[in-house]
Amino acid sequence: MEKRLSELEPGEIGVIVSIQALTNHRHRRHHGWGFQKRLEDMGLTPGTGITVVKSAPFHGPIEIRVRGSRLAIGRGMARRILVRVEK
Amino acid sequence: MKKGKIIIALAGNANVGKSVIFNHLTGLHQHIGNWPGKTVEKAEGTLHFKGHTIDVIDLPGIYSLSTFSIEELISREYIAVENPDLVINVVDASVLERNLFFTLQLMELEAPMVVALNQMDMAKKKGIKIDHKKLEKILGAPVVPTVAPNRTGIYELTQASVDAVEKGAGKPGRIRYGEEVETRIEKLSKIVSKLQLPYPARWAAIKLLEEDDEIKRRIRQLDPSILLAAEKLAKEIERIHGHSCSTVITSERYEIAGRITREVQQIVPPTKLPMRDRLHALTTHKILGYPIMAAVILSVLFAIFSFGDYTSQLLSTLFEHLHCICEGLFGTGILATLIWGGIIEGLIAGITIALPYLIPFYLVLYFLEDSGYLSRIAFLMDSLMHKIGLHGKAFIPAMLGFGCNVPACLGCRIMETERERLLATFVVTLVPCAATSVVILGLVGAYVGVQWALLLYLIDLLIILALGRVAFKVLPGESTGLIMEIHDYRIPHLETIVKQAWFRVKEFIKMAFPLIIVGSFIIKLVDVLGLLELIADILSPVTVVWLGLPVITGITLIFGVLRKELTLLMLSTLLGTTDFANVPGFGPREMIVFTLVTMLYIPCISTVAVLVKEQGWKRALFITFFEIAFAIVVGGIAYRLLMLTGM
Repeated sequence: MEKRLSELEPGEIGVIVSIQALTNHRHRRHHGWGFQKRLEDMGLTPGTGITVVKSAPFHGPIEIRVRGSRLAIGRGMARRILVRVEK
Repeated sequence: MKKGKIIIALAGNANVGKSVIFNHLTGLHQHIGNWPGKTVEKAEGTLHFKGHTIDVIDLPGIYSLSTFSIEELISREYIAVENPDLVINVVDASVLERNLFFTLQLMELEAPMVVALNQMDMAKKKGIKIDHKKLEKILGAPVVPTVAPNRTGIYELTQASVDAVEKGAGKPGRIRYGEEVETRIEKLSKIVSKLQLPYPARWAAIKLLEEDDEIKRRIRQLDPSILLAAEKLAKEIERIHGHSCSTVITSERYEIAGRITREVQQIVPPTKLPMRDRLHALTTHKILGYPIMAAVILSVLFAIFSFGDYTSQLLSTLFEHLHCICEGLFGTGILATLIWGGIIEGLIAGITIALPYLIPFYLVLYFLEDSGYLSRIAFLMDSLMHKIGLHGKAFIPAMLGFGCNVPACLGCRIMETERERLLATFVVTLVPCAATSVVILGLVGAYVGVQWALLLYLIDLLIILALGRVAFKVLPGESTGLIMEIHDYRIPHLETIVKQAWFRVKEFIKMAFPLIIVGSFIIKLVDVLGLLELIADILSPVTVVWLGLPVITGITLIFGVLRKELTLLMLSTLLGTTDFANVPGFGPREMIVFTLVTMLYIPCISTVAVLVKEQGWKRALFITFFEIAFAIVVGGIAYRLLMLTGM
């Protein structure tokens, strides 16, 4: 089952399918490239396994474990990461 | 072989203990400045080792060598173009895979390299064992295990570095991508190698396939046809893998990092949940995290405030005595007044900020950052800061702004992109600092009512929210969300923190003092020449007609440029009373308007100095003049609204 990273519950495990960079923001040249590159540089490439640890309240960021390290990802960014949830 | 000066650059991820190693290597021979034309800090130092003089450059802590942040761009330009004799790659042994991703990119830049496998103690605690000899063989570069805080391995690291330079260490090993990618990199690098580029051809080819803006720009100037060839090859890779070429290359690079990690490391995780993990869970807890954060922040603010207050009063008393001595020596003539009032007062303004507020601020900031708590605060406060278009990390400078805007502006460096840095800086200058609070509480709080003082704070917060949003919409560039590594809690290395704080305060003194002194000299000169009344008259259309304030407030507002609390002090001097309750023409309405304007109208001269340092003259002046105009507009509106309510 594919879900957005922002929809995963704490404790759920998944594999990244893709990052949706394109947005319809006006006036923002190159919007998306830097965003996608940034996430990938931090190790969130397609095929990477992740575990959701917790999410901060008030629609705050999500804490995940990836590649032996701990990352915090803002909710807006997490919404654009597509994940295949592992049973 | 090379004699004489050796240049070594330190590179690595953030929070891997790079600055601790830098401090051990360079001791007290440090110089903190900026990279030319950039708002990125450059730390340099000198090391003498067995007859060698070694210049050490501490590159910013980064995760990649793309063009996402200025830091990344600066680092790769430095390594490729300035050609240091050696790069020491500081690696966190407890998070090897992520760190090796960066190491692989350094290898692609083909600079001679030594790897410092740091935080071996932390790795051990996490049950991680690393075969560093094997790693050395795979990377094709010397690997030295270190535990920076207790100097373990620092000598060996220095020795290995000097050896590497003396032997004329060549390039480190080369990493090979998957077959489909590799053949195309080779094809492209053959074409690129014909150009005169300051970068290795293979690296430039890889970056071209990654659609790196900076490399594309360079190559477009030399030979646009290469871009077409690169695009064609990138498309081919994209078709094979079903992802963009840049994604494929990054994935494969991480793949390689992961493979190496599995080859050299063994993990036997501890069965008991360690203390640092429990602390992490507690401090990021969705309910408990907040009271803990509030307690930490309040105690930090309280500590800085009380220390600052105490020290600055001590200093003021000291300077008063000096003033008497000065008057005794030089009399009270014009020259003596100018020297004292202009130069020395300026110096005092600078010192009373630098010593009591800046030093503790830096100590606390580095302590929180090094320990890892800063990233937990950012995690908790991210959603709030998004309301003004910033992310969680900006909460820290914004909070510090309540103490003093100067360190708060300096703290904006923790933001990644130029855009976020400017936005955060702008927001921070609107936060009411301690001196502003003196005016708010001392005038409105004491003579109009505490609820009015609180209302003023509330108005200020709303203004910050509104202006932050506007600036967020107006500023060009990509907006980024929060993405950060939350590294494990650890005990900060005190010696490094103290040194980091000291060298940065020194840098502030060098940069800001001249401006502060010149500013106060000019104001004093105007005063001595008897021009203050004239200026107050010139300002009267604004102060009297628009804001409804007494003429003399023009003078006090000018002095407020030096230090905001001076507006209140000058007011009592000019009115000849410290009791503002019964001054004709200066009732509650005037007090509120006056305080509102004081709160908003200008970042004080020390803040302007630091704005210039961080953002350049143009932006500093823009922010300054914008806030003056804004304060006047808001003050005038407030005056009329208060009239309507019949106050």
